[in-house]
Amino acid sequence: MAQLIEKFKKYRLNQKEYEKICELLGREPHGVEWGLFSALWSEHCSYKSSKIHLKKFYNKNSRVIVSEGENSGVIDLGQGERISFKMESHNHPSFIEPYQGAATGVGGILRDIFTMGARPIMLSNYLCFGDLDAPRMKSLVQGVVAGISGYGNCVGVPNVTGFTDFHSSYNKNILVNAFALGVLYPGEELALSKAQGTGNDVVYVGAKTGRDGIHGASMASESFDDKSASQKPTVQIGDPFFEKCLIESCLEVIRSGKVVAIQDMGAAGLISSSFEMASKGAVGLELHLDQVPLRDGSLTPEDILLSESQERMLLVCEPKNFEYIQGVFNKWGLEATRIGKVLDQKNMRLMWHGELLSDIDPDLLVENAPRYDRPYKKYSPQNRNQIQLEIFDVKETLEDIMTCDFGSSKKWIYDQYDQRVGSQTARDCSQSIGVVRLEKSKRALGLALGCRPYLMRLDARIGALDAIYHPSLQLASKGFKALAVTDCLNFGNPENEKIMTEFVTSVESISEACEKLDAPVISGNVSFYNETLSQNITSTPATGVVGLRESIENIPLENFCKERSSVYIVYQHEIETGGALEQLYKNKISATAGDLTHTDQFIETIREVSRFALSTRVVGKFGLLYAATLMSSDTLELHMTEKVDFLNTNQDLFTERLYEVLFEVERSQGFENELQKRNIKFQKLGSVQKISHGTKLLKQKYLNSFEEKV
Amino acid sequence: MSKKIGIVRFLGTNCDRDIEQAVTEMGRKVDYLWFRDTFNISEYDALVLPGGFSYGDYLRTGALSARAPVMASVREAAEKGMPILGICNGFQILCESGLLPGVLVRNQGLKFKDEWVQISIQTSATPWTSQYKVQEKIKVPIAHGEGCFYADRETVMRIREQDQVWCTYDVNPNGSIYDIAGILNEKKNVAGLMPHPERAFYNWMGSSDGRRFFQWLS
Repeated sequence: MAQLIEKFKKYRLNQKEYEKICELLGREPHGVEWGLFSALWSEHCSYKSSKIHLKKFYNKNSRVIVSEGENSGVIDLGQGERISFKMESHNHPSFIEPYQGAATGVGGILRDIFTMGARPIMLSNYLCFGDLDAPRMKSLVQGVVAGISGYGNCVGVPNVTGFTDFHSSYNKNILVNAFALGVLYPGEELALSKAQGTGNDVVYVGAKTGRDGIHGASMASESFDDKSASQKPTVQIGDPFFEKCLIESCLEVIRSGKVVAIQDMGAAGLISSSFEMASKGAVGLELHLDQVPLRDGSLTPEDILLSESQERMLLVCEPKNFEYIQGVFNKWGLEATRIGKVLDQKNMRLMWHGELLSDIDPDLLVENAPRYDRPYKKYSPQNRNQIQLEIFDVKETLEDIMTCDFGSSKKWIYDQYDQRVGSQTARDCSQSIGVVRLEKSKRALGLALGCRPYLMRLDARIGALDAIYHPSLQLASKGFKALAVTDCLNFGNPENEKIMTEFVTSVESISEACEKLDAPVISGNVSFYNETLSQNITSTPATGVVGLRESIENIPLENFCKERSSVYIVYQHEIETGGALEQLYKNKISATAGDLTHTDQFIETIREVSRFALSTRVVGKFGLLYAATLMSSDTLELHMTEKVDFLNTNQDLFTERLYEVLFEVERSQGFENELQKRNIKFQKLGSVQKISHGTKLLKQKYLNSFEEKV
Repeated sequence: MSKKIGIVRFLGTNCDRDIEQAVTEMGRKVDYLWFRDTFNISEYDALVLPGGFSYGDYLRTGALSARAPVMASVREAAEKGMPILGICNGFQILCESGLLPGVLVRNQGLKFKDEWVQISIQTSATPWTSQYKVQEKIKVPIAHGEGCFYADRETVMRIREQDQVWCTYDVNPNGSIYDIAGILNEKKNVAGLMPHPERAFYNWMGSSDGRRFFQWLS
């Protein structure tokens, strides 16, 4: 028994799961099978605590080509263009080793995209750090940013937008979520991971297998204790140059039509990729583990199966095409090695120098993985009535928010990322949404990230609805229609009922908002156990919302651009909250009662009237005055001259009313008529005038204060 | 003029398709020239070495690429007077191969930097800037970690005297000596710069000031 408990600990399995394994196998597991079950039944690979809820997502409409069961989702944009995108967490490794953790997060998400046959054209990152003064935090910020920069710049995919927050709930568990998007142009075939064709070759390509990342998946499925730094060997090491060559060679072989199936080796490495390919294709594979190219000859079969060495892929091809495929990889300086065959019976046969190590039905591990319905409660709104936020000095308060960690410019971060490689970037990280051009149809693709953690701390339902509505509104303000969504659900311990309740509420609310906007969830990832010594992170369902605009020309700008033009606020107030400022001053957050029920029509109207705008900005964190100040250009700013119903006290300039959008407009009449016709409220705030010296100085402080602190 | 424009491709080059976009927009055809091969220079009117991270910047930026077989043909073309443009990593490779003087080292501040800069064109003695006025100021982006141009005093004096300083930064972003953003060889046919004119090609990019670098091809 003691021996068994030792094994449970090593393989991170429990008594119940062990009993289920014995029942499925009809015997006890032996040898490498322990490792197989450990990896594939880990939370990270099996989604055992989340799967029953993820099924509720609104995930299909006429555009959706793939939204489950593949490396990434795919939607059809018409005109022969399709895009694939996904966001994924690399939280645990980034806390242990920030540079490599973040770098390999970028590498992993890119592989999910080009595995589908899509060329990556957009990167983005959603980051949550603890207080900058918390132990290690500055070095974590520097390391994560350097890792993303080092990897992303080298592979040559532009980083076009991002989100960064700081809060003490992330002091011991930072969030590093990487987003990537790729495109398939007319005539380019989608690649899938379903292994097929008895007798076909199973081919291993890319980097050799080393000792890094062994048991990484199960590490990422556990809470941290105070010894988490000792987990360093479970973090993978990345090489972006290798990845760049892998992107080019994989796309070349996929485009040739000679690849039957392809899958990247991500979490749980070779095991996970091979078992999933077999299970999806309802076939078996025979794998000769001794044929796997190794960096370290002393690796055992179990190590080889579990290693998470980076920049590796597994593909299936007809034997007659192997030579061609090998030739392409060699051209790009990479190797391709046959390591097995597709079998007609549905069995995974793992061989080691002629000896059969395991012969097992892949479905036992993939399809029969445990499913848990963890206890949770029905959602009930948090107590809300009114907000109490007294502001005595408007100028002082504005300076506080323009220079605080959450409010100051993140230029220091984004300047380290290549935002323009590919020469299709129309809006970079200095703007509220990222935009790249689709080079064939010349249309514009927009990306905005969602989830404002302080709203999640207010109320999980409001926070999760906002995680869809706020980015969709940002897209709409620039004339983009939200098409589809990816999510990265970062939560604490799912065995905690409060956390599980927030999780289920988030999933249901996101799904509800997506359905209203007809923007399905096409891909995503769940990261549980963001917990250290029983302290859970703020529940953080990060999202990436992708939108389309027919033209790349005349997208409304982010800054005022014409002296004497009019500035309006267009609004639909459903909830008012002390928001980010209350968080900053009082470390709590309050709000009026209400729900976000009619936001979808408001968003559509904003998109329609965006054609009248010279510049726009959604009023977000810290309220109206902060948004208006950010809109000032080097030479121009807003002069508020009009009386506005809901702006009576100092406080009103800083509270957040969901939702409001600022518009700089030249042709006021047409704009006003259009809004009246659609029954949407608006008021004129004032006009654009020359900038004052004071605002200029304040913007300088806004741009520099983060760099001075970090 | 009807010959093609050659775009040299190394392992890790990542601005190759960007250059193709700019060149084809000018109505010209391109060929990708693979780093392992030499090529017949008589088939081309001009060559471009695009940006990227060739060989992952291992050893030293541009050091390994400068020794690739394709460079024998590039050298031959340079000697024959063919216009050759190196951008970013392409500039680093031209310096490493000795076709341009000096070297590019780590940015002052040690960080990769992506930002819009203003540069001043110092000479129109090469076709790439034949469409600009001398001292014209243009807005183009940079994106590099090792763009700090350095050469010994003697070399710097010489290139300044011989009208080889091609363009300079108005506000120095990386510590380059004499604010140098790009230089020419003595014969003025080989040109290298760190900023990316191909990323300032259409107005929607934020500036189209770089478009005229390619205008002479049309």
